[in-house]
Amino acid sequence: MLTGSKTTFKVRQMLPDIKERMLSQSGVNVRSRDVFGLRCLPGECVLQRAVMVRKKLTAREGRGWVSGTLFCTHFRVAFVPQDSPKPDDNADPVLLGDHDVALASIEKVVVVGPNRTKLVNPNSSLKFTPEELVLYCRDLRVICFLFDRLTPDAQVIEITYTIAKTYQPPKPGSVLSFQNAALGSVEMKQFLSNRRRDTHTNWFESASDWEQELERCGATGWRVSSVNDRFEMSTSLPRSIVVPQKLLDTELKKSFAHFHEGRIPRWCWRHPRGSDLLRMAGFQNNIYHEKDDIRNLEMILFGCQSSLCVVVELDEELPSPADIQLSHSRLRALCLGDISTSVSVPDDKWLSTLESTHWLDYTRACLRKASEVACLLRGGHLTVALQEADDRDMACVVSSLVQVMCDPHCRTQHGFQGLVQKEWVIAGHRFSSRINYHRDNDKEEAPVFLLFLHCVWQLSSQYPTRFQLTEDFLLALHDSIHLPLFSSFLANCQRERCKRSQNLGQSYTPVNGWRDVDSSSDPSDPPLPSVWDWSLQYSKHRRDRFTQPVPPIPPLQPLLNGNLNTHPDTHRPADTAPGSVFLLSRGTFSCPVNLLPWRGGGSGVYKKSHRRAASSENVPGLERLLKAWSMAELPKGLASTSAPQGPPDPYEPLLPLLMGPCMGLWKECYLRGALHAQAFSHPVSANHPHPVERLAREVQQLKDELAQASSGADPTPPPKAAEPRRADTNLNQNANNGTFLFPGSRPQSATAPRSAPPPTSANRQSSRGPPPPPASAPPTRHGHRDNGGGNKHTFLFGAPPPAEARPDQRYYPAPNAAKLPKSNGSSVAS
Amino acid sequence: MASPVSVYNASPMVDRLSSTSRESLKMELLADVSLLPGEERIIDKDIIYICPFNRAVKGKVLITNYRLYFKSSEADVVMALDVPLGAICRVEKMGGASSRGENSYGLEITCKDMRNLRFALKQGGHSRRDIFELLFKHAFPLSHGLPLFAYMTQEKYVENGWNIYKPMDEFRRQGLPNNKWRISFINKIYEMCDTYPTVLAVPKESKDEDLRRVAAFRSRGRIPVLSWIHRDNQASIARCSQPLVGMSGKRNKDDERYLDLIREANNTAKLTIYDARPSVNAVANKATGGGYEGDEYQNAELVFLDIQNIHVMRESLKKLKDIVYPNVEESHWLSSLESTHWLEHVKLVLSGAIQVADKVSSGNSVVVHCSDGWDRTAQLTSLAMLMLDSHYRTLRGFQVLIEKEWISFGHKFASRIGHGDKNHADQDRSPIFVQFIDCVWQMTKQFPTAFEFNERLLLTILDHLYSCRFGTFLYNCESARDQHEVRSKTVSLWSLVNSRMEMYLNPFYTPESGRVLYPVASMRHLELWVTYYIRWNPRIRQQQQSPVEQRYMELLALRDEYLKKLEELQQSDSPSSRLANIPTPNTTSSSSTSSTPPHQFTELHTPL
Repeated sequence: MLTGSKTTFKVRQMLPDIKERMLSQSGVNVRSRDVFGLRCLPGECVLQRAVMVRKKLTAREGRGWVSGTLFCTHFRVAFVPQDSPKPDDNADPVLLGDHDVALASIEKVVVVGPNRTKLVNPNSSLKFTPEELVLYCRDLRVICFLFDRLTPDAQVIEITYTIAKTYQPPKPGSVLSFQNAALGSVEMKQFLSNRRRDTHTNWFESASDWEQELERCGATGWRVSSVNDRFEMSTSLPRSIVVPQKLLDTELKKSFAHFHEGRIPRWCWRHPRGSDLLRMAGFQNNIYHEKDDIRNLEMILFGCQSSLCVVVELDEELPSPADIQLSHSRLRALCLGDISTSVSVPDDKWLSTLESTHWLDYTRACLRKASEVACLLRGGHLTVALQEADDRDMACVVSSLVQVMCDPHCRTQHGFQGLVQKEWVIAGHRFSSRINYHRDNDKEEAPVFLLFLHCVWQLSSQYPTRFQLTEDFLLALHDSIHLPLFSSFLANCQRERCKRSQNLGQSYTPVNGWRDVDSSSDPSDPPLPSVWDWSLQYSKHRRDRFTQPVPPIPPLQPLLNGNLNTHPDTHRPADTAPGSVFLLSRGTFSCPVNLLPWRGGGSGVYKKSHRRAASSENVPGLERLLKAWSMAELPKGLASTSAPQGPPDPYEPLLPLLMGPCMGLWKECYLRGALHAQAFSHPVSANHPHPVERLAREVQQLKDELAQASSGADPTPPPKAAEPRRADTNLNQNANNGTFLFPGSRPQSATAPRSAPPPTSANRQSSRGPPPPPASAPPTRHGHRDNGGGNKHTFLFGAPPPAEARPDQRYYPAPNAAKLPKSNGSSVAS
Repeated sequence: MASPVSVYNASPMVDRLSSTSRESLKMELLADVSLLPGEERIIDKDIIYICPFNRAVKGKVLITNYRLYFKSSEADVVMALDVPLGAICRVEKMGGASSRGENSYGLEITCKDMRNLRFALKQGGHSRRDIFELLFKHAFPLSHGLPLFAYMTQEKYVENGWNIYKPMDEFRRQGLPNNKWRISFINKIYEMCDTYPTVLAVPKESKDEDLRRVAAFRSRGRIPVLSWIHRDNQASIARCSQPLVGMSGKRNKDDERYLDLIREANNTAKLTIYDARPSVNAVANKATGGGYEGDEYQNAELVFLDIQNIHVMRESLKKLKDIVYPNVEESHWLSSLESTHWLEHVKLVLSGAIQVADKVSSGNSVVVHCSDGWDRTAQLTSLAMLMLDSHYRTLRGFQVLIEKEWISFGHKFASRIGHGDKNHADQDRSPIFVQFIDCVWQMTKQFPTAFEFNERLLLTILDHLYSCRFGTFLYNCESARDQHEVRSKTVSLWSLVNSRMEMYLNPFYTPESGRVLYPVASMRHLELWVTYYIRWNPRIRQQQQSPVEQRYMELLALRDEYLKKLEELQQSDSPSSRLANIPTPNTTSSSSTSSTPPHQFTELHTPL
């Protein structure tokens, strides 16, 4: 496999003129690295450097200062700590080192001199030697370098000028030149062309990707349609859309005209209880509804539920993109302060000023709407259609939040990446316009996706143990948005993305899950990587912190034949007349006459039945579903002591608390620039056994003793032999590596022998069905190694990883009589 | 039926109540209260609890000499209230015999721990008279000539918490006495200062007569004495009360000389005196004979820390209670929170302590005082010591810190809390200690690996600050405690804590001696301690434990179960002493950190 050039490129001498320097790089091809140890990208050249510089470390980096060398290339400001290990020349290129910042991320350059602060722009001249260089980034990082007395003054001034002149001021055209600086070299292009795609993430680009998702969700009654394969039906919809099985493409084609931008109702997700989530744009007005049209429209909307549909109105209660933009810019100003004057909001007004940005209000509004939808879906047997006028902003937020709340798979890194692909990238969120990379469309700018990330962070901060992805991952995603390098964010829809990669006409079916980039595309345009190609951006060390071990998720139970489970607990709205449609708006249900324009018109065949359904007797049933959400906030008793409970039902939605005191600001992101002394590290010292481990040993001792005592003279083996899947047996087996700490390793794996092995990491590594792991080893051992815990307490969670992202093995047959052990506290002596 | 479908089960509204009949419910209603040894039933009664979060709930109330316990008798409401009588601030009658409206006749109870309770009784027949009188009597025993419950309890613990703090041991840990500091027993019979402990560390140069002369010039005789000394640079934290300067601007050569001795003890150019008060208040104190150190104190600089007095703090917390109980202010939560100024006060206390710690770690000795030196001074010195000395961040070390800086140096717990006293409007009451614990909590949030104890310890401390079950927080000073024989007649809170240490351990603790912690004292980084101040609101979910912590608790439960089973087996089986093998609860690494290696300081600057 070709991995591109391994060569490092260096400028050995500082040349007087930047332009000249930039030109000079291509000829240099040196295998050795200079003494300062920066490993350049192919084609990257160092414009300036300064030695003996100290960089201030954030809390996450371990605080304090680190000395090293500061570089400015035409792509980034790089910093190499003094004692950093010698980079491996043969490793794949990484765009940014741990301490680097891309020039395109820099928003302002500020220098601090003896008792003065100055904003530096390309034309400024310095009248003093800076002591400190502060880079304010678009992603809200603030990076601070301190020049020692040992740094030569000339270098200090030179590098400041160089950075000020080279960083990308927001202007049209700068994006392309930045992309070229990073990815434009022949070697880089070649390297990127040969990148393999992450096979754990569903990219939702092809029909088979969608089929995989239908299968994962157990959504029968739906099919993938390629009616929009050439974007003729709708320019902003993806090539593949999921529609009811009984609807033919020819019937489908007529429906596009009835929706804004042709964005017809499409299937997004199925709740394990059998409800389907759809999203659609607003109805086109002034269009005549033929009888056939009406039949098709109804069929699309009801999917395979055919009984009840709730249309959830998104425009009214949620912030508009303009609101979000205003709020976010206020928040930025509040968090960073006025950079040029170093004036910030006085501390005693912080809370009220934060409130007045409305950022938390908007976060709450999105979470509330998503919670309502999640509760409706939990009720089962209905279709929820999210309707937004253009279906490209808040629909993305709400539909993906609903899935994060309800589907544990979406709380894993790969599941979440798939979710963003499905509901944002492929669904046609206008990333390019909303982020406004080219600074050519300020009116359209609105960080809708950042609001979504804040909502996800809010959820994860309230349910820290239910997310496999971590705050580090969310931060990485947040920061990547501000880097105009990724195909994921540089287009407004799939069509634009395809156009760019010159693939428009080709039929594209990556059956094997990864694609070959067409290397014949215009060589002047570098192939853009996907944001999910994290190893391009982050070192292994940083990527390890993207996930944390969580208790394994029991696999979704397949819903065979669309036969939905009928659990007694299901709040089933009884006696719903077939074809009832309700509108959910402001927390209440109604059925306005013109909700579905074709029904109000008068000629519809459904009018009669609709009228029957419209009698509000069904509304209480639905309202009960919503009530469950407000009630869910109330615990059973008022006693404050809560005993540790068994593992919660993984498919119960994570409903957030939305009261003022429960809503916080994502400080690790938004206040990174503020001076900060928080520490969060979990070093595990070898000398001090972790308290959990100590206690675990003690429990183990007790257990052994108890087994001894209870057996007495009787030499029969302890009860574990009789019931091999008892949680405490698990505990016994793995006492040495601590993997027993999560009892919930999938019990079925032993009780119900299957042809397919459980998805241990061993066979998760390579996608295409390798031989099962040696049967002698307990499956937990394998999960242990790459559980993503990095340097954290990996040893605590040895259970197999969740059933995630394995294309060929997603569902497991429902084992007979397999009941999950509720907790580890099950009795031993019994 | 164990069908695989059950994975989808567990709607949070599942009714967990078993189908016991009403009758049996009533019978077992009060049986499930496990009374403490020495706790006695006073009265029980059918009553209606007017739950502010739900609806009125019928049930039964039990009052003992320690607690008020309510349990719902309604089949569909599972709820219980367990309130130590010590937490009750005020009991009032609500409505009269002729009041109209449902549930308008009853009792209204205001608690010291951020909640109020309302009970309704049947009108007529003076149905509330007996319960009101008995509750009033036992909630405020001192006002009725009754002993506090701490004197009635028969609880026994493996460890005697009264042994946790021995002044001489603590001085020795700090390396005292040494060639600059001596231990003085001048206050052995509380003769010089009745609110100070008996053992004091003072400059070696100073004679006992000097101390007496200084005592005459310091409010209530609370002379500057050493609280903590830095092992490496020998900079010290001394605490005292304000000098008695008065309107006429009196001077006292002995006091001036004495402060200079403190400075000379580690040979620094300047002694920094931190006056915790706002300068206006310090000036105003001159009118009542107090004041602050003026220019006559050579080689000393005076810094005011702008921390408000006990009355301001009391009102601030009252405002906070108004916006969180019973209902949380929904709209404009943040500006409402801002207007209570509670977090701002927390910030000022913390940033004062940071200044003290910073000064000391850079090698300068400091003297800290406010007016009397038992409220703000205790906050500042103890927080600064928590930042400077990792020993105090261990479970046992923290107990020592509280025993030393708060209890032995005479923070007036009895007056500030009003144990057993019916006078709810007493102007001496103030949540100074609560504020200190809040500051500690803020630090644990900012440095999650630096503290050996967890949030549960802080909550337990605050619960028993009021409960009167332990002698720890009773009375104003050591002399009063001696007089009431607290140590011999009551149980220490630390007996409870140290007998179940695992409950209070922070699994993430990473011992790291020698690092100075400087928390960020900025409104941007301080948080409201929701799980304390709003914990009675059922909508506040107790913060989910981290997986490790959760696992820890599960293991604890498992261990208890095994222990119980083993015990049962032994009783039924053989009398052999198998239990002897059971490992004792792990004592923690507190001892390993006490031998502090050379301090190595990481400086981090904080916006002040």
